[in-house]
Amino acid sequence: MQIFITGYGVISSIGLNSVENFQSLKEMKTGIDNTSDPIFGNYKVGRINYSNEELSSKFNLKTFGSRTAILGMIAAKEAFEGHVLNSDIRTGLISGTSVGGMDLTEKVFAELIENGVVSNAFNHHASGMSSLEIAKELGLENTFINTISTACSSAANAIMQGARLIQNNVLDRVIVGGTDSLTQFTFSGFRSLMIFDEEWCKPFDANRNGLNLGEGAGYIVLESEKSLEISKKEPIAKLTGWNSSSDAYHQTASSPEGYGAVLSMEGALKMAKLAPNQIDYINAHGTSTPNNDLSESVAFKKVFIDNVPVFSSTKSYTGHTLAASGGIEAVFAINSILNGVVYPNLNFTTEIIETKLTPQLKFEEGHEIQNVLSNSFGFGGNNSTIIISSLK
Amino acid sequence: MFYIHSISSISHQLSFQSDGFSEKLFVLDDTSSLEVPDFKDILPPTALRRLSPILKISLTTALECRNKKEFDAIVVGTALGCLQDTEKFLNTIRTSTSETLSPTAFIQSTHNTIGGQISLFLKNHAYNMTHTQNALSFEIALIDAITLLKEGNNNVLVGAADEKIELLEKLRNSIIRSKYPLTSLATFFNLKNDQIENGIVIKDVTVNLNSTIQLGDFIDSFLEKNGIQFNEILKVYHSDCEFINGENTMNYLPYTGLNYSASALATHMAYDELSHNGKGLILIVNNICNNDFGLTLIEKC
Repeated sequence: MQIFITGYGVISSIGLNSVENFQSLKEMKTGIDNTSDPIFGNYKVGRINYSNEELSSKFNLKTFGSRTAILGMIAAKEAFEGHVLNSDIRTGLISGTSVGGMDLTEKVFAELIENGVVSNAFNHHASGMSSLEIAKELGLENTFINTISTACSSAANAIMQGARLIQNNVLDRVIVGGTDSLTQFTFSGFRSLMIFDEEWCKPFDANRNGLNLGEGAGYIVLESEKSLEISKKEPIAKLTGWNSSSDAYHQTASSPEGYGAVLSMEGALKMAKLAPNQIDYINAHGTSTPNNDLSESVAFKKVFIDNVPVFSSTKSYTGHTLAASGGIEAVFAINSILNGVVYPNLNFTTEIIETKLTPQLKFEEGHEIQNVLSNSFGFGGNNSTIIISSLK
Repeated sequence: MFYIHSISSISHQLSFQSDGFSEKLFVLDDTSSLEVPDFKDILPPTALRRLSPILKISLTTALECRNKKEFDAIVVGTALGCLQDTEKFLNTIRTSTSETLSPTAFIQSTHNTIGGQISLFLKNHAYNMTHTQNALSFEIALIDAITLLKEGNNNVLVGAADEKIELLEKLRNSIIRSKYPLTSLATFFNLKNDQIENGIVIKDVTVNLNSTIQLGDFIDSFLEKNGIQFNEILKVYHSDCEFINGENTMNYLPYTGLNYSASALATHMAYDELSHNGKGLILIVNNICNNDFGLTLIEKC
């Protein structure tokens, strides 16, 4: 059964919608910078420079929620724009998040510990609540709603989950992706792991020092053929391959041989019935940590041998948006196909000695992009790959 | 039909490695605690030292469900994830002014640490998923497990876990309203297409998040879909549902305590009861959360 894509939406530090995001990608304009927020100190982050209140009023949101939920509402609304709810189309929402309502929790936690003051903010803590809030904003309350929480592969896994539920005749149409806001919790967490670069991150560069954290949300709409007959939506692209595999090496580090990454890429290729040389562009996980980028490069060489396709990490633009990254990058993949473009990997100068791979360095038009492979790898050795293909 | 090949729980009941525990259930109160085995006999020293209770009980019960073959998939449901490590790291960042923080609690605070630790311990390279949808996390994980079996996989590990931390007591009577004690628990089981003679199966599972649907109507349509009359059911387990009463019904919350993964433990109770009491069907009604309903139908063939 074919899984069609009929909508997409994104918000990140490089734009509040998919047009703005595409424009920044084109202009090679990163969203990562220093902030005046004391939480982040001297570290650069990919932050969306609007408060929750500003975002809610700018996008006319009716539902209150955590920042994670608000970002999710904005991107999911863009994705679902022009779609109509219809009782003959079983529509669902599957959203990935790692922090859920942590942005609210961490603000009221001290008051609870020190003075026993209970804030209603705790009602928004559970990750499942952020998805309910997004669904409510979309008017999707009476449907199947689910939340995936597999750290940085959450959105990719949510996309996979949605496609499988369509294939198994549980749903006809599903909004899938992920959302995560910047929080002190995740910022301090990644700082404790000592994997931040104090400068702009340099994915796949020999001298990369670590990642910049970001925030955002990205969603796409998947529909079955039956759903298209009723919705009359013109499909934009297809989701043709997906795979989730485990590295089973370390709770946070990737194996040096990229074992899980090889499994997920090969699994997705097999499912899409594609040979490695049919991939025209790879949107890499490419966090810019010494460990990930080497492991992922080694995995590229294992899967694609001497013909590694054009690849880049757009985390050099958005920062690492954790659970949202697979959703945001799925939208970038769709736009790569629709516009025949490949995106640059910013800040790269020197090849990694062991693998000698150079990512795409310029924004380039005029490519014929049939198939894009997108990687998302998370804590717990959770490796996920999706493949998005043109309708041709 | 999806056969349960092995099942294991650690809870406040004597559920671990205790065949027939469903006949010896006791009503929990606020003084009851987790009935844990001696982890020293099961887990390596590094795990004993580093892992929080939810990780220890999840890993231990998952390991009990091992068989000779590698699992084709590991599927976990958890509503609130690894709360102890989350609280620990929130406290670390609240109190520490140091540039160097210990990352252990952060690393282990993500929901998928449960599934990740299981895959690490078993060196399992398969599909590994974590579902978190409040009190329906277990049922949604089970739907995924069944979908995986329909897709051609045959050896799936599925389960759910949630842990109580003392901090939750501070939210009682405001955010958390329940007359039942808060508890920790983990239940995992091995689900396969392979038949077992007189085996126990998950016949069907479904969830509802539709606020306009009444629980009674939802149960009726679920039974109708499965071609079952209400009076054919041996017993109904429910989570304090007003209109379900009578001799063949049981409110499981006094025995599981309030835990968003309680319906997973109830599944083990039903399995245990059926394995000792002839044939029949048990329906588990999970109505812990207002409009969110989960229904699981278990049958001994």
